Amino acid sequence: MSAGWLAEIPARRLVEDGLEERVALAPGDRPLVAVGDKVEPGMALLARLRDPHVEEVDVRAQGAEHLGAGRTFSSATRHRGRGEVRLEGELLTPVPHRARRWRLVTGQHREPVGAVAAGTVSVVQPGSEIRIALDGRAVRGAFAAGMPARGTLGVVTDALGELRPGGIDMDQSGSILVVGSRIDAEVLTRARAMGIRGIVVASLASKELRDFQASERRQRAALHPAAPFAVLVLDGAVRRPLSSPLAALLAALDGADVSILMDPPALVFDVPGLAVPGVPEDWVRIRGGRLAGAEGRVLGLSGVRRFAGGVHLEAARVVVGEDEAVDVPLGDLERLG
Amino acid sequence: MSTTRPAFLTIDRGTATAAAGLIGHVGGRWRLLGAAAAPAAIADEALAERLRRRLAAVDLGFAEDLGLGSVGAAGDLVRLACTTEAPPELAVVAATDRALQTLANVAAAAGWRVRAAVVDGGDILETVAMLAERRLDGILAGMSDPPSGDERNLLAELGGLVTAAAERRPDLLVILAGGLAGPGARTASLLRAERPGPTVVAPAADVRDGEPLRALLDELRGGSREGRRGLAVAAGTLATVLRRRIEILEIGQASATRIVAGWQPGMPPDVRSAVVADAALLPRGFGEEELDGVLGWLTTTSDRLRVRDRLRDMALAPWSDAAGDGALLRMAAGRAALARLRDETEAFDDLPPPDLVIAAGGCWQPAPAPAVALAIADVMRRPGVRALALDQARILAPLGTITDDQERAAILADLRDDLLVPLGSLVLPGGLRGGGVAGSLSIEAPGGPVAIDLLAGGLELVDLAPGETAVLGLQFREPADLGAHARHFAVEVVGGLAGLIVDLRGIPLRLPDRAEPRRELLAGWQGVLWDGANR
Repeated sequence: MSAGWLAEIPARRLVEDGLEERVALAPGDRPLVAVGDKVEPGMALLARLRDPHVEEVDVRAQGAEHLGAGRTFSSATRHRGRGEVRLEGELLTPVPHRARRWRLVTGQHREPVGAVAAGTVSVVQPGSEIRIALDGRAVRGAFAAGMPARGTLGVVTDALGELRPGGIDMDQSGSILVVGSRIDAEVLTRARAMGIRGIVVASLASKELRDFQASERRQRAALHPAAPFAVLVLDGAVRRPLSSPLAALLAALDGADVSILMDPPALVFDVPGLAVPGVPEDWVRIRGGRLAGAEGRVLGLSGVRRFAGGVHLEAARVVVGEDEAVDVPLGDLERLG
Repeated sequence: MSTTRPAFLTIDRGTATAAAGLIGHVGGRWRLLGAAAAPAAIADEALAERLRRRLAAVDLGFAEDLGLGSVGAAGDLVRLACTTEAPPELAVVAATDRALQTLANVAAAAGWRVRAAVVDGGDILETVAMLAERRLDGILAGMSDPPSGDERNLLAELGGLVTAAAERRPDLLVILAGGLAGPGARTASLLRAERPGPTVVAPAADVRDGEPLRALLDELRGGSREGRRGLAVAAGTLATVLRRRIEILEIGQASATRIVAGWQPGMPPDVRSAVVADAALLPRGFGEEELDGVLGWLTTTSDRLRVRDRLRDMALAPWSDAAGDGALLRMAAGRAALARLRDETEAFDDLPPPDLVIAAGGCWQPAPAPAVALAIADVMRRPGVRALALDQARILAPLGTITDDQERAAILADLRDDLLVPLGSLVLPGGLRGGGVAGSLSIEAPGGPVAIDLLAGGLELVDLAPGETAVLGLQFREPADLGAHARHFAVEVVGGLAGLIVDLRGIPLRLPDRAEPRRELLAGWQGVLWDGANR
């Protein structure tokens, strides 16, 4: 087989190295790491301000070199009413026409946000983001929802499977579950309530995503929110099974500690000696159209072919299972490697 | 374009797809020898090799003459390449709502994805958070020049916000426009000189309808080989070469472009363009309103949730699912995007009407050419007679990156018969009232004279092959609007893959509110021009 023409078939990497995680910081959030710091899972990255509000403060006591947007500020203790008040927070902007007065974002309640994967801090921009160059390897997803989370990977269905509400076991608390082709919002919220840390699934319908995100917002607004919970969707919104190379990789990771990131959406693992399953170079998966989800071997390029709807597209000849070879639009094919 | 070999490649690399054209010197002029497109992930070399392979399969001797006889030979060809990237994000901040609206409109027409915040009455914490957001690429802050009274009162506040944002994100591009850039504002001097991000002083948004500011913002976006800028340059040259007024409607995955280029003897081309991120095929932040827009054009029965899921997948893999129902969904999404582009560039409708309308961009590529002609007719309802064409090979934008005006004009002149797929002509009369017979049409076509009664509310199609021209006679019972109001018209029309389309459906196009009759009506019109659409 000539490998040259295979370059015309879209390919994606099964496993990536050197990913950089981005963690959002809002004004008032306090970074607890600095550039160059090594972070490990569970280590506090930042203190999230849960109840930010703005106060005006006199900054005369703070030296000019410590003044500026994003700088931390701590006021002297003041008496206000019957109590003592000490304002701590982050400087926002100077107050116009008022010398030495700044606006400060402050609040009473902070919650720690921990790292979910090991790496080295590469960027810290107060009020904007923290970036971490990750040590581990990653499988990229199409999108993710919830919060970054870490747990022990458990494969609970086959590639075509679907998790039902009754299918979650309390023993799986603390796990990240691989649930096959699809899941609905009810199961996601139940899984979160039962202490599951995350779900990896091939597809998640838009309605289910929206319902889950609404539930997640309510959960995060609570005074005592549940532990972080993440959903990683590997392919898209329309139902399809997990591809077999991915399913094999996830099976090899069964029992290993893994993390789900939100930005970029990815599953990260650091398992020394893990053998990543090989994928034959002529293996293809059909990701769209009539045969979406099917896998097969590509025999060669067919040139421009007429397809349903009177549309002419570049195609390749593909054998799916024991069936006869069929022409499939090149755009509907993907290779993994 | 200096090359020692008699061939070169054009590459138009978009966010969803990439297109390549093989151009060779044949018989004393440049000709388009082949064109191909593929998902954006495919390398230039693979596309080039596909073109070389096909040329060699058709005429090996000719391919060898061009030095393209062997595998990999196309990889060495000179490439004229351009790229279009996802629109960068710009926070637009102004003192008052009025000033903000003007600034935001100009920025949105320059290809930036805009987030807007106003100082007067705005939430300071939300504004600061927006200005520090990690996805942001730049800040545009501005005032009228000179600032109005209410703006002047907020000048210090606005200046303080901008300098604070630049302290948090020193890498940001900061654009100070109008009165905020003036010496009285002193904002520029408050920004640290050593910060890595550039500071740019810009004209106010209300100067000459914002065109100088729009042009500057357009220049600040993308690299030197930005495809949409190349397309605008090529449009101007093409207008001069063809001696016609042209309009380009480009719909891409991440942005859309409307370009109008006029021509006058002895004058440089007059080009006006707008790049609108919100008019992309599937813009970021695609919501219920955009979904309604797509459903309004859809000719298949599919529930809302299913359509939303398919569109979401189309956003993730825009090259996939392009046949069958997927093609119909794509065309519905294309029409909805074109309608957003039309609405965002309303001012273009005040310009003289174009002689030639060109559809461009990855959105139209998989669809049959006549279906593209109908999509333009469905959405761009300006009365008149115009030729329609498709930039199928996507070589216009790369050719627009040639910096030498004369060289670019010479190559486009050579390629004038190759670079566009002729779709035909669209006759769109306005001012027709009621149903029934509105008049008649007569045409002296090469196949013999044709006479047709014109029924108001419908489409009349006349076969007119690519390359053919004909004189069309139109007699209306009541005065109609074809750019001029009259009862009798005689116009020259050109043929194409869709032939001659006489569109009597009224301006604007009124569709039933109820989904089923609307779908039937749209499918009926589409079925006439799109073989296989309803199967």
